[in-house]
Amino acid sequence: MSGIVLYGLDVSAPVRSCQLTLRALELDYEFQEVDLLAGDHRKEEFLQKNPQHTIPLLDDNGTLIWDSHAIVCYLVDKYANSDELYPKDLVRRAQVNQRLYFDASALFMALRDICAPYFDNDVTEISQEKADNVRDGYGHLETFLGDNPYLNGDAPTVGDFCCAATASSLPAFIELDAEKYPKVNAWLERLQELPYYEEANGVGARKYVDMLKDKLTLL
Amino acid sequence: MGKISLHGLDASPPTRACLLTLKALDLPFEYMFVNLFEKENYGEDYSKKNPQHTVPLLEDDDACIWDSHAIMAYLVEKYASNDDLYPKDLLQRAKVDQLMHFESGVVFEAALRRLTRPVLFNGESTLPRDQVNHINQIYDFVESFLEHDYLAGDHLTIADFSIVSTITSIGVFLELDSAKYPKIAAWLERLKELPYYEEANGSGASQYVELMRSKNFTIVP
Repeated sequence: MSGIVLYGLDVSAPVRSCQLTLRALELDYEFQEVDLLAGDHRKEEFLQKNPQHTIPLLDDNGTLIWDSHAIVCYLVDKYANSDELYPKDLVRRAQVNQRLYFDASALFMALRDICAPYFDNDVTEISQEKADNVRDGYGHLETFLGDNPYLNGDAPTVGDFCCAATASSLPAFIELDAEKYPKVNAWLERLQELPYYEEANGVGARKYVDMLKDKLTLL
Repeated sequence: MGKISLHGLDASPPTRACLLTLKALDLPFEYMFVNLFEKENYGEDYSKKNPQHTVPLLEDDDACIWDSHAIMAYLVEKYASNDDLYPKDLLQRAKVDQLMHFESGVVFEAALRRLTRPVLFNGESTLPRDQVNHINQIYDFVESFLEHDYLAGDHLTIADFSIVSTITSIGVFLELDSAKYPKIAAWLERLKELPYYEEANGSGASQYVELMRSKNFTIVP
């Protein structure tokens, strides 16, 4: 047994990026559900572990790490047999890091800007600006892919795992138009071929989209 | 050593985070001003190097690297004589990474950029109060993260450079109450003691604040 515990919910995109990474590394782990709607993340026990009260949270045999991007990089550096998922070459690593920070800022914040007001205050309208932020995110992914099958070249990296988890959730709000974003669509389909993708991301992403897609309207 | 160029401008917080890092590492570099108001970041040359059109951008010989956090990590790993600024120890590194992703999403994107863009680039004169109030949460988090003298522990890391660049800028929307956030106030004083602080961040932060104030925006409920 690895002694790894992942705290979160399968509908959460950043949790799923960690699941993709754990599965890619063939690491077994215990999954501990954190019910956000019940406020589990704001209870003292969880706050002691993660004062930012977010999911996912990783407990690696007592070592506590949060933020999905920090978690996935830690896991690869610690457990991987090769550096394919997170290259050690400094320039290539910087390029993967850029995709990770893009997910943390542009992609995930675009998602959070829409879902947080809905969950916290029943806001069901998506403003033009918020919709455009999502479309900008899709557009950048389309550009980043270029002529490559994956975001950083010929093979998947943690950059793909993080961006794909978020990009497969955003259609809950804004359609990932196959005509406008053919490369992004092809890239997600390519990732679906990974044997662990369905369980680690597919199921949860579909649950998230189904949960939300008819609840909000574009202004 | 290759030739390093940093493209950006002093008013930009992430440019300043990189300037702090370059100065801390005592690295010679060429500083290339990018005029965002003339949309230089959308020009053909710039777009080839950085298709996301953001600042800062680092060129190190043939390599083009963007996103301030990726730039800072790269510079330390490549050029530093020790790993203090970006630890090799996996847990300590994860701590710095968590702080930098927090800065990237929660602070820069969700607060600074969402408030700057409408006023500076889209000609808006009002900002919604609830978006400005989000800054309170940022101050709360940073205060709670400061369990030691610096954000990631007992010594300075690039996480401090990243967060100080935005923390010293968002005050133009919602000023930091030093009485309510004594740890942040003490940490800021600590950073100001760095010999390169004023040149790399202090003066640029003032420039950003003046620029925003000159737009005479108001905050509306």
